[in-house]
Amino acid sequence: MKKSTFFSLLVIFLLIPGTLLLGRSLPGRWYYLTATAIVVEIMLPFFAAFESRRPQARELVILAVMAALAAVSRVAFVFLPYFKPLTGIVMLTAVAFGPQAGFLTGAMAIFASNFFFSQGPWTPWQMFAYGIAGFLAGAVFHGRKKWQNPFVMAAFGFLAVLLIVGPLLDSCTVFTMLTTFTRESLLLIYGQGVPVNLMHGAGTAVTIAVLGKALLKKLSRLQTKYGMLEGNV
Amino acid sequence: MTHDAFSRCHPAVNFLFFVAAIGCGMVIQHPAYILAGVVCGGVYFCLLSGRRGFARIGMLLPLPILTAVLNPLINHRGKAVLFLVMGKPYTLEALCYGLALGGIFLVMLLWFGCYSAVLTSDKFTSLFGSLIPSLSLLLVMVLRLIPAFTRKTKQVLDARRAIGMGAEQTGSLRQKLRSGMTVLSALTSWALEGSIITADSMRSRGYGCGKRTSFRLYRMTGRDWVLLILIGGLFSLVILAGGTDASYTPVMKAAPLGWGFPAYCALLLIPTIFELKEAAAWHISISKI
Amino acid sequence: MAHFHIENLTFSYPGSAVPTLDGVSLDIEKGEFLLLCGRSGSGKTTLLRQLKPALAPYGKRQGEIFFDGKPIGELTSREQAEKIGFVMQDPQEQIVTDKVWHELAFGLENLGCDPAVMRLRVAEMASFFGIQDWFHREVAELSGGQKQLLNLASVMAMQPEVLILDEPTSQLDPISAGDFLNTLKKINRELGTTIVITEHRTEDIFPAADRVAVMEAGRLTFLGSPREVGLALRRSESPLFSALPAPVRVYYAVNKEGRCPLTVREGRAWLSEEFPQGAKENALTEPACREPDGEAALVIKECWLRYTRTGPDVLRGLSMRVPRGSLFAILGGNGTGKSTALRAVCGSVKAYRGSIEILGKRQRDYRPGELFNGCLSMLPQDPRSLFVKETVLEDLQEMGADQTALEETAARCRITELLLANPADLSGGELQRAALAKVLLRKPKLLLLDEPTKGMDSIFKAEFAAILGSLCREGVTVVMVSHDVEFCAEYAGIVGLFFDGQLITTGTPQTLFGSNSFYTTAVSRMSRHVFRNVVTAEQAAALIKRNREEAL
Repeated sequence: MKKSTFFSLLVIFLLIPGTLLLGRSLPGRWYYLTATAIVVEIMLPFFAAFESRRPQARELVILAVMAALAAVSRVAFVFLPYFKPLTGIVMLTAVAFGPQAGFLTGAMAIFASNFFFSQGPWTPWQMFAYGIAGFLAGAVFHGRKKWQNPFVMAAFGFLAVLLIVGPLLDSCTVFTMLTTFTRESLLLIYGQGVPVNLMHGAGTAVTIAVLGKALLKKLSRLQTKYGMLEGNV
Repeated sequence: MTHDAFSRCHPAVNFLFFVAAIGCGMVIQHPAYILAGVVCGGVYFCLLSGRRGFARIGMLLPLPILTAVLNPLINHRGKAVLFLVMGKPYTLEALCYGLALGGIFLVMLLWFGCYSAVLTSDKFTSLFGSLIPSLSLLLVMVLRLIPAFTRKTKQVLDARRAIGMGAEQTGSLRQKLRSGMTVLSALTSWALEGSIITADSMRSRGYGCGKRTSFRLYRMTGRDWVLLILIGGLFSLVILAGGTDASYTPVMKAAPLGWGFPAYCALLLIPTIFELKEAAAWHISISKI
Repeated sequence: MAHFHIENLTFSYPGSAVPTLDGVSLDIEKGEFLLLCGRSGSGKTTLLRQLKPALAPYGKRQGEIFFDGKPIGELTSREQAEKIGFVMQDPQEQIVTDKVWHELAFGLENLGCDPAVMRLRVAEMASFFGIQDWFHREVAELSGGQKQLLNLASVMAMQPEVLILDEPTSQLDPISAGDFLNTLKKINRELGTTIVITEHRTEDIFPAADRVAVMEAGRLTFLGSPREVGLALRRSESPLFSALPAPVRVYYAVNKEGRCPLTVREGRAWLSEEFPQGAKENALTEPACREPDGEAALVIKECWLRYTRTGPDVLRGLSMRVPRGSLFAILGGNGTGKSTALRAVCGSVKAYRGSIEILGKRQRDYRPGELFNGCLSMLPQDPRSLFVKETVLEDLQEMGADQTALEETAARCRITELLLANPADLSGGELQRAALAKVLLRKPKLLLLDEPTKGMDSIFKAEFAAILGSLCREGVTVVMVSHDVEFCAEYAGIVGLFFDGQLITTGTPQTLFGSNSFYTTAVSRMSRHVFRNVVTAEQAAALIKRNREEAL
């Protein structure tokens, strides 16, 4: 068994249940800390796998470039302040380089960009949400040339943001703001997020539909030229 | 870049402090503890960011009030019903709970604000550089690229404007979107070309030829060890001494304050005291000249 | 034993029929300072990269390279990293990390250097290069010159035996470039590091080199001391002759053979010898200046500008008047506000006092979009910023001009053969011409250029100047901001000197540079003790010849 697989199993079967148990014994708002801790723990195997692989220079640079591009991308849309192409770029990177690279790009993009704004209780949640966006896109589309139609990917991006990425971002609010977890109160918080998530999803879909083909071409040219990020999923 | 005394301590000291302060701040909902957190966090935040800090805190203060007003609309438990809203009880307990919740959120925002100012990327990477070498290298690379890309994007936008291809001149949403995409895709090509040079530069300086070490910008001094032990000690005292329990709905009750509370206050005041002590020492040494 | 022994090296890129390197043989001695000259595309970069295994391009290679007597392929990746340092052209992209200190330490971290040793070496390098003051700074805050110095320092921190540099100063302004080259000389002299460098700005580096190698079309055509190579280039009438330092060019313009001066100092001595009693004819008649009565294309009156409310003023009462159809060059040091002046004319930044009049109409009276459509266009400092598509042609088409206009403009800017190329693959000079073509498709009447000659070799500069000249004859007004004194002296109609946010003085190149003693061309500095208003090599040669004829 590979070291990183072993580590993932360790996290899933020991660390997370352990955290839950320990969390219960804490006073007060234990569920908040526990939820955040679990989010961080789920990310650990991704990071550990990356570390244990000892990435090459070109791989490291390309991930850094894509993460930075995602983080900076909204600057190009100064005239459309609500348009944020971050998720779209993360997903396209994932389609080109696979779920793991996608996860890292998403998580790293938001983590680094928070150094320029402010880290906050939202940081782990954001890292996880954008990371998952990359992971999902990579898991579905990476290596499946036939599926990589810009409009299929755009539709996928829209749904993924609306159903998974957006609600994950809202979950941070849920754990900060709620005092009771009734169906009513949960609906209220998640419901409030829907317009923002619709916007976010639309931005993602447009980014993928417009940029998708060209960006994937550029990335695959680099990939064949330098044999980067091959054979790791 | 901040220059307060606590920021000059070893990153491990800074990190442990924020783990303790933010961890406790997140979990403990005892009103006295929350109040202590708001006061200590606010004072240190102002020390770090000066006049802008006051303004920022002024902006954040309505937050607990807002959550206090809103919470009873969601949470209807509690005995002291103030009035009915849409047939549902609006209770005093839920109001207080909302206030406490807003307080907790405020405490966290304050401590995270301090964290961002104190634990710069330099410190973060030197803390975790040897534990996660590749990831922390990835992080510093992204941190270099973000300002470079931002500047480049602005350059391209400016350049296009000056040849009559700017976006604001062309109006419609569709055109704005297309123009933004053109810029973004140009930026992508430029960035990917640059990546080849960067990768060359890395390999030419020996990246990948063996195990990496990391440059130590910070060294642990005796003072840092003392602080580390002090913070660790107080942190455990707060947890072990208990007395942090409090609940609001359905019934308001709070545990009597024990030894944990003074320990908590002492813990949170460490950076402030440290800064004031150094400032005093500095003034004394100046007055002697 | 030679440090590098290159034996009959031939190299071709995959899919290319013509070899990029063709039978190159060269010995590079230990501690030598070798300058490699050649036009862009002559194979210089390819040769340099062959000397550093980590950077050697893929392709078919014949012949051998020995490093310290060992075939270079046998070096481990660690050895090549430690012993052979390589500095590339682009200051920005070579940097890996976000902080200066981290960048200095990066190479040593890779080698797994012991932390204590690393501290010492980094401290040493920071002191040697004068980096202490910005040791904790963000890389993003550094100027281009500082970035390139940082690249050099972080390579030197690994204590290489050889330092290879590929056009390291082509992206820098002349003053930073001079500093950089002086540092190189210091490294060579004080540390004994072998240096191999390619460079098209030869004024400083040519006299300092031990040997000069000349490459043309993948072959090594000349090799010898700077003087020998100067003479050889003169004899073969190579186009590269125009890239040599001014004293060499003046000398060989009037003499067939002989030992040429290399530096301004030697040039002055030679002229003193030539005219012991001073020159009889010591001035050229100046062409009449087109100023000042002609119609003005651009008038700036008392402009004051600052970027932040409390920041310093960048423009401090700038006033200037540019006559229609002239080539107006603004010269000045870094940070004097030259580029800001251009941005103010474009309206990217707003002056808080003063007025700007473009083509007889006040700037703020233009409707949005009207200004940049047929009136005013600007070529930015980095021409790459203008290209957003995959080929030059697509980029030109983006401007919405019809096919004939496009073809005409392409022909005029001499980029017809480059239309299908990717903008990223063009050389500095080609890119600048392509950018000019894109800008010209808007048919501007006033054209602003920001540092257009950056990264161009002397031959490209002449071509570029010819295009600008033809534009001016058609009535287009060109305003350029530049550091390039030699270019402005040769081609500009009016020159203005910018200092401290204002235009201090304007005049023809001859009067302005003739009266300056420091901020002027090498020819002027070399000849001012015998001639009064000579600023270019051609003028100097003409005057020397005329004096000689009179003496006969």
